[in-house]
Amino acid sequence: MKFTRSAKFALAAAASAALAVSLLAPAQAATRSTIVIHDTNSLTSFNSGTPDTNLTINSKVGNLSGIGFLYIDNKKNVIRNTTFGNFKIVKNSATDFRIAYTVNPGLVWSDGTPINGVDLLMSHVLSSNKFSIDAGLGNPDSDDVPAFNSNGYGGTYSDNIVGLPVLSADKMTVTLQFKQKIANWDLYGPGPSPVHTLVLMAEGKKGLQSVKDNEAARDRFYAAYTTKNTAVLKSMGKVWSEAYNITEVNSSTNDLLFVGNGGFTVTSAVTKSSVTLKVNPKYNSGPKLSGTIDTVVFKFIADGTAAAQALANGELDIYSGQPTADAVAALKKLTNVNLIGGINACYEHWDTRVNAAPGQPDYNGLFKGHGGKGADLRKAFLLAIPRQEINEKLIVPINPNAPMYLGSTFIAPGFDGYERLVANNGSSYYVGSQDALNAKALRLVRKYYPTASASNPVKVNVLVPGNNPRRAAEFALAKANALKAGFDLVGDVQASWSPKIQLSTYDAQFFAYCPSAVTQAGSNANFQLGGGNNRNGINLPQLDAILNKLQLPLDNRAYISTIIAAERIIHAEGLTSGVFLHPAVTAVNKDLKGIKPSPLSDDVVWNWWEWSY
Amino acid sequence: MKLFGRKEKSTGEILAGGENAIANKEVEGLSQGQIVRRRFFHHRAAVIALVSFASIILFVMTSLDVKMGPIRIPGWWKWTTEDIPELRFEDCPGGTTGCPTLSLDPRSGAFGMGTHPFGQDDIGRDYFALVMNGTRRSLMIMFVIGAVSGFIGVVVGSISGFYGKKVDSVLMRLVDFIQTVPTIIIAAVIGKAAGKVGPLYLALFLGVLGWTGLARLVRAQFLSLREMEFVDAARVAGASNLRITFKHILPNAVGQIIVVITLIMAGAILTETGLSYLGFGVVAPDVSLGLLISQYESSFTTRPWLFWWPGFFIISIALCVNFIGDGLRDAFDPRQRRRITKRDRLQAKLQNKAGE
Amino acid sequence: MLRYIMRRIALAPLILFGSTFLVYNLAAYANDPLGELRLSTDDGARQQIIALTRDLNLDVPPPIRYFLWLKGILGIFIGKFDLGNTRSATTVWEELAYAIPVSLRLVFVATITALIIGLALGIISALRQYSRFDYAMTFLAFLLFSLPIFWVAVLLKEFMAIQFNNFLSEPNIPIKWMIAFSLFTGLFWSSLFGGERKRFWSVFGGAFATSFVILWAIDFTDWYLNPGLGIILIALLSVGIAFGVTAISTGLSNAAAKKAALTMAGLAVVWYYPAQWIFNNFGSYFTIFILISLIVLTGLGLSRVYSKIDRGPIARTAIITGILSGFLILVDRIMQSWNDYSGTDAVNGRPVPTYGQRKDQLVTEDFWLNNLDIIMHLVLPTLALILISVAGWIRYTRGALLEVLNQDYIRTARAKGLNEREVITRHALRNTMLPLSSLFVGEFLGLISGAVITERVFGWQGMGTLFLRGVNGGDPNLLMGVTLLFAVLTIFGNLLSDLVYSLLDPRIRLGK
Repeated sequence: MKFTRSAKFALAAAASAALAVSLLAPAQAATRSTIVIHDTNSLTSFNSGTPDTNLTINSKVGNLSGIGFLYIDNKKNVIRNTTFGNFKIVKNSATDFRIAYTVNPGLVWSDGTPINGVDLLMSHVLSSNKFSIDAGLGNPDSDDVPAFNSNGYGGTYSDNIVGLPVLSADKMTVTLQFKQKIANWDLYGPGPSPVHTLVLMAEGKKGLQSVKDNEAARDRFYAAYTTKNTAVLKSMGKVWSEAYNITEVNSSTNDLLFVGNGGFTVTSAVTKSSVTLKVNPKYNSGPKLSGTIDTVVFKFIADGTAAAQALANGELDIYSGQPTADAVAALKKLTNVNLIGGINACYEHWDTRVNAAPGQPDYNGLFKGHGGKGADLRKAFLLAIPRQEINEKLIVPINPNAPMYLGSTFIAPGFDGYERLVANNGSSYYVGSQDALNAKALRLVRKYYPTASASNPVKVNVLVPGNNPRRAAEFALAKANALKAGFDLVGDVQASWSPKIQLSTYDAQFFAYCPSAVTQAGSNANFQLGGGNNRNGINLPQLDAILNKLQLPLDNRAYISTIIAAERIIHAEGLTSGVFLHPAVTAVNKDLKGIKPSPLSDDVVWNWWEWSY
Repeated sequence: MKLFGRKEKSTGEILAGGENAIANKEVEGLSQGQIVRRRFFHHRAAVIALVSFASIILFVMTSLDVKMGPIRIPGWWKWTTEDIPELRFEDCPGGTTGCPTLSLDPRSGAFGMGTHPFGQDDIGRDYFALVMNGTRRSLMIMFVIGAVSGFIGVVVGSISGFYGKKVDSVLMRLVDFIQTVPTIIIAAVIGKAAGKVGPLYLALFLGVLGWTGLARLVRAQFLSLREMEFVDAARVAGASNLRITFKHILPNAVGQIIVVITLIMAGAILTETGLSYLGFGVVAPDVSLGLLISQYESSFTTRPWLFWWPGFFIISIALCVNFIGDGLRDAFDPRQRRRITKRDRLQAKLQNKAGE
Repeated sequence: MLRYIMRRIALAPLILFGSTFLVYNLAAYANDPLGELRLSTDDGARQQIIALTRDLNLDVPPPIRYFLWLKGILGIFIGKFDLGNTRSATTVWEELAYAIPVSLRLVFVATITALIIGLALGIISALRQYSRFDYAMTFLAFLLFSLPIFWVAVLLKEFMAIQFNNFLSEPNIPIKWMIAFSLFTGLFWSSLFGGERKRFWSVFGGAFATSFVILWAIDFTDWYLNPGLGIILIALLSVGIAFGVTAISTGLSNAAAKKAALTMAGLAVVWYYPAQWIFNNFGSYFTIFILISLIVLTGLGLSRVYSKIDRGPIARTAIITGILSGFLILVDRIMQSWNDYSGTDAVNGRPVPTYGQRKDQLVTEDFWLNNLDIIMHLVLPTLALILISVAGWIRYTRGALLEVLNQDYIRTARAKGLNEREVITRHALRNTMLPLSSLFVGEFLGLISGAVITERVFGWQGMGTLFLRGVNGGDPNLLMGVTLLFAVLTIFGNLLSDLVYSLLDPRIRLGK
């Protein structure tokens, strides 16, 4: 004991002496040129185009390393990238619709190879069912995996394209022909891909080749494309479908995989941890880079609280997610961080049942049938959902700018024409003080249940998505208020709820749709007979006819007018009611400028050229 | 050196014989039950824990309504978890809402519980009611898991250890089998299947999975106890298997069994918390302490009361159960020495001196 | 015995079949791999459903699909072991091969450290039964038993990483914290050594003053910005280690052992500068291995020099002293990289991370920087795991040792005149270790599979994360791969601990 104590004294004295002489190096304050972006999911592939790898993080990385004719900004506007090229309609009749895409001269891939029209042709290979079948690459609709295991088959493009896209003599212009005018035709245009790298990898090359060899390789693809050379295309398809499915990138990885025309190219990646991209010195296909960022890192963090703490600790520069109100309050307290509140593409809505979904037993509940009693009770039910209270208590603490009502489930507030839409689409019926709405609802209920009241309510079976505190709170608020309108909401909490939406057991459900594109006809599947998301037995031929018009290209005015017509029916029938837009929060290192989160899945990465320190 | 306690001739060494003498004298002529009770009530920490635990249960159970079929015993607390009163804004720190009204400062005018002693949640529900409801759920889960695991564990362990051979072999492979089934899978299945009646089923199934450690322990105890002379003696005297099990072996193993059961119970409350954190436990709108604490994990810098109160109850309950278990272990263990107080030492010293 | 083991191993496949069949069907019931896709309005969703149904055979009902999976597993007998594919185009085998070492790294350090700390505290607790220290440890253990790990993790991140890094940017220990910390240290040591009032206060005063001076020195020199031990500190500590190790290992009365240990400590000091050169020029695990071998050889040599008889304990004492002193020099070398590490662009002056396994942006060939990075990322998760599992070890060790101390053979050992050190190290501790070793197997295996929450909170991509991905993401093959591995580990862990039990207690006859 004695020894220990005296020894400790000696130690302390000696330690002070020893340490006093040690030199102090000042902490460095170098300017940063790295930006670390958080993502919830881990990267699984550098090709996001296959069904297995269609993850937002995969496409975000792709977004930084490639750019084409257009991009979509944070207001969901389609912006043309004229640095890359131009496109225009060259023929516009009801049965023959042609668009010409021209690449500007002088643009290069990151390996120095000039970009031309042949690089646009891969899009067709990856999207057209007919091409895949004709070239002997497999039928995408069958059980066999096609040679190019693409996610793009079977969509609008494939259904409407006529023949092969035609390459001009100077190889800079590609012309597509569609069998009719299609809505949002500009979204179906071709994007550039470095086809020569696919050819070279298919031939077994392990690294970058000379420009001359690259151009020769591209010509070999063009020959195979025009003659539908199954063998060559199949070997390319194998590379396209499989070679990119790596998560570890280091100096021994084949550089051909990462040739692109975006501002950044992948240089390294660590499995399930991060991907690092460095600036592409040859980049000239899009807006000029700000120049202060030379490294972009995607860091994968699944847990929301953990990510917010990592941001607070300076391990991240951009955090984006859907945190709780408390996490937002905590982020607000951080001095080194700017908080950008916003919304994501998801909108929460309450749906009511009309009839049984296809293949389900008959529905004989409260809301049965179009018109009459069913419609009245549905309307009363939707009136009784306290939308403003839900927004105030659950959404405003996270996003102070949240709109109190969603007047439409087709387009979001802020979209061009939204004001005119909500003024005319019948949504005003559902707006007012909640007391007034409750009274209105109770009157409707009493038409059919004269004794209905808070103490003698009518039961409504509601599917409640489990495992979600916000939805539990949303349901609690709805239940408490609906009682005032004479409804007793009987909630059935289901953790795994998605397959149960269609069950005839439930009179109503609430959940969110997250449209990931900006297409006009995106909501059709929810309401049309036979639509993939029509799980409430909606069968209104008149509505179907109106919605069919959205399949054709419409200008904004015609588009809004069509939605007005559709939503008048929807609101009069009480089929659905939007409650809130899911709030999303982006928190950014205060020194970082130019971050503009988008509600679409690209989130912050759509404008990488504007980022700067 | 000093870590090893004694040096040459210390009081400890003198007491080596004396302590047992003290302890033995204490229990002369008492039945086992009496000895256990006596020893337990000498364990101060355990008694404090027992009293606290009983108070918590009483407090929690009487606060809200108790519904058993048609019978409804009203609780003394004014809110239920279904009421949604107005959110309070006044006097809340830093622009928060629904802060607690509990005040323990007798000088302030607001001394006492106030309207919402633990505050309110996001939509205004009374947090005291939620915490009370959650504590009930967690207690229920804890007791159900303890009872189910305890029962199955003791039965399987005793049978396996007592009969040995084929029976043992089969039962121990059953243990292996149960141990290979991940808890989370069961929780996920129940989450999907049971919906609203979840918590009870969850507890039952967790209990059905949770007995394996106890069974192995009971079996090991039986294996070594059945070879003891006193068991042979009983057998020679013609005691039946049942009598040997209940009168001779179990009483010797009961201390260990109880400790393990208390560990299982204390662990159960944490298992529930962990499962809720991962989204497999109790599902909203049901409430449990684990669900509350994981739901408000991120609130500890902004609305700490939402986090601390469920945490306080989790820790208190687990602590109480552990201390009660510790007291029971000491009380049941026949070889365990009673706590030697200063006065005992002094007495022993004096006796020793006198003896010399 | 061999027959018994063979029989147990022969039964394993049956149990594995039963449990995997059950889990497969339960998982298929609980989770729909296509759930989210069914809700999607995307063009691509339809194609994805077709592809997933095809790849995972989702059109086959689960009980039959199980046998398709089993076919791949049974391929092990014909050399074509196939655990199937995940839904993200990787094979389950690849995923496991990545995750197992990660889990091991996380769990190994934590388990070993928790074991050492828990053993030490548990032994002291038992030897000082019903002392203040014992009560404090009991309370601490029960408190730690009661804490949810994710809550511990959140707190650790807030205070050990975020606040500490903030502190490093303007390092200055407030005087009240110095006093508070010193008070705590004082209380710790005084309750550990216990005793009469006078002794209590003298220990308290000594420990209080010492830690206060150390803190003050650290603060005064800004040691935490440029840490290191330096040759003087290493010399002092090595001598202390030499005495301590000798006292526990052989007793200070063994002069030869004391001399050997002190010589070893001296050698450590002499080697300090050469070691720096070696470390700077040949930093690698191989070098460290060579140096450890050198220490062992030196220890054996020293025992020959100092004694002709009973060389084992002397060599042991010298080697342990050497390794501990060498460890100090190693720690010193790693500390020297601190400033460089902190200044890199990847670290940006915030050396304690809250998340992940490595700083991937930190690309360097420097052995010490890389290791410091690994260590810094291990700190918080390891600490969290230690806090949670140390409580168990304190209680187990205390209980087991008390049990042993009440046995007759301990009384016999004392009666025959062995001194207390020998009674405890030779008779009591050895018999305590046996049941603990069987517990250790279980605990270690349990942590590998049970670190689900820790891995999630700290972003480690180990087995727990894979398992969660399997359950949450509706990825049946992945889930089954992990389950199968856990099941195999559990079955063999149980076998192992049964064998240890039977070795421990010859009265238990296995398989009879």
